[in-house]
Amino acid sequence: MKILEITDMVMRFGGLTAVNKLNLSIDQGEILGLIGPNGAGKSTVFNCVAGVYAPTGGRVQFNGQTINNEKPWNLCKKGLARTFQLVKPFATKSVLYNVVVGAFATTDNTKEAEQKAIEILKALKFEDKKEVKASSLTIADRKRLEIARALATEPKLLLFDEVMAGLRPAEVDGMVEIIKRLRKTGITIFLIEHIMRAIMALSDRIVVIHFGKKIAEGTPQQVASNDNVIKAYLGDDYGVS
Amino acid sequence: MTGKENLRVKKTNLKAQKKGLDSHTGSHIKAGSGPFVTRGNIKTMSLALAVLVAFGLPLVITSPTYLHIIVLMFFYAYLTTSWNMVGGFAGVLPLGHSVFIGIGAYTSTILSLQYGVSPWIGMMIGGILSVFVGVLIGLPTFKMRGAYFALATIAFAEGFRVMVENIDFIGPLNVNGPRGLQIPPQNYGFANFMFAGKEPYYYIILIMLIGVLALTWFISRSKLGYYLNAGGEEPEAAMALGVNVAKTKLAAMAISSFFTALAGTFYAQFSLFIHPKSIISLDISFEIAFIALIGGRGSIAGPVLGALLLRPVSDFSRIYFGDILPGLHLVIYGVILILVMIFQPRGIQESLTRMYDSVVDRVVTWSQKDGEA
Repeated sequence: MKILEITDMVMRFGGLTAVNKLNLSIDQGEILGLIGPNGAGKSTVFNCVAGVYAPTGGRVQFNGQTINNEKPWNLCKKGLARTFQLVKPFATKSVLYNVVVGAFATTDNTKEAEQKAIEILKALKFEDKKEVKASSLTIADRKRLEIARALATEPKLLLFDEVMAGLRPAEVDGMVEIIKRLRKTGITIFLIEHIMRAIMALSDRIVVIHFGKKIAEGTPQQVASNDNVIKAYLGDDYGVS
Repeated sequence: MTGKENLRVKKTNLKAQKKGLDSHTGSHIKAGSGPFVTRGNIKTMSLALAVLVAFGLPLVITSPTYLHIIVLMFFYAYLTTSWNMVGGFAGVLPLGHSVFIGIGAYTSTILSLQYGVSPWIGMMIGGILSVFVGVLIGLPTFKMRGAYFALATIAFAEGFRVMVENIDFIGPLNVNGPRGLQIPPQNYGFANFMFAGKEPYYYIILIMLIGVLALTWFISRSKLGYYLNAGGEEPEAAMALGVNVAKTKLAAMAISSFFTALAGTFYAQFSLFIHPKSIISLDISFEIAFIALIGGRGSIAGPVLGALLLRPVSDFSRIYFGDILPGLHLVIYGVILILVMIFQPRGIQESLTRMYDSVVDRVVTWSQKDGEA
């Protein structure tokens, strides 16, 4: 079953077409990677799916429902969560407080929300820092906090916008492990990433976009050897020999 | 001044109480199921003590002048606590809350003068009216950020004041324009919300203050409180986590405007004279913001501590320098605000809370040592 289906999505900002007739779909339980050079429109695709922008054209379906004009907070309650490329913690509050805000998506009771938040922090091996103020976390921990908060909303589909950017190699490995464990719980994951090592290891399928258009789609191996992809990243002069 | 005195009273009383406890129920503690002197217990006890002291204060302070000053102190603590639900938790800076004071005061006063409705009922009607106006103001303005929001709320408040100043009648209701409304001091009694002495007013505002503080405490631990804080700090992230930021802000505005309006009725019955310049003025709106910023925005204790610190400054500077330097208190407020913002950007509540916590810790460790010996 398709959990997310994007049909002919177009997003224009004035004269700029950031996303141009994009088609893609994600199966339940799959990890789909979305890659492309800087400015290809990856984050715009995410923002259109997550309800930050209403796409100019086309259709976005989540669990069979059209969600084109749905607001972010309603999408969250339907089971669609996201992280931000530039992390946005509630900086003056503790880690636990941050996660509790997410946990309130499924309950009105503070005690229940706190319990759920603590469970999630435990699962992410983050519990020791629950009283730490978010503003004093390292970048790796801030990314982890983004994930913890998103998980607390009990998502069916998680959008990860470059959760590994800015991490050291060892931290990247840790994050890859976290995402692998997440998919075992049955969550579908839609991933934007620049770190090839990570996206190759994680994705079942990869979609490559360039200037808002899909130029390739397939398994990591198929994509890595695709002529269009190599040209998009390295320029026309680099033929594959 | 009074805040510090209060604290000192609290501390000494606490020690006395503890000593008494040791001598009388010492054996009970040893036989009991765990230490009696815990952080939680001390905090509850000192809170109860503070409430007790507050209730007993009029027995000690009998001078009407001082009682008047303290009533106004609590009045401002109440106003600022009500303001804090929007201005503190939701992270915006409303500077037009005098609108709601005005609505509360005028509604109950007009109803009681012209129709003989008890001010208590008028108080509730004013509160409900205020909720509508608050939501109406919030709908367009909450889309603005920072200074733009503050300016928009000022515009609403000033617009409202000018309207009231220039209107004598709204239909059958006599607003009496710039001359204001006088409540004739007769028919004293609880039902008429009118008393000869200051004490009843003192107890009414004290209970109102405790009520609104309890509500704030409750909200800060509820979903609404979490959502308000989240939406105030990082709206985009909050929205992605399921927070309808605009809706939570409107809810906070509704609550805040309701309780602010109640204070309006209180003020009208306390001073028995209202006119636009005195209760819908920006002075009050600004003073509330001053108290909140200096005391500590977004905290529960901040507004109370701010009022305890600033109100005496205002009153005594008016008493002693009122003729020579009118408005001196605002200059002093400004200086205090600058100092606080430099040294304690999150308000004086932060350092006071830390001090209080360390005192509590010391008492706990000291009692443990005592118990071992």
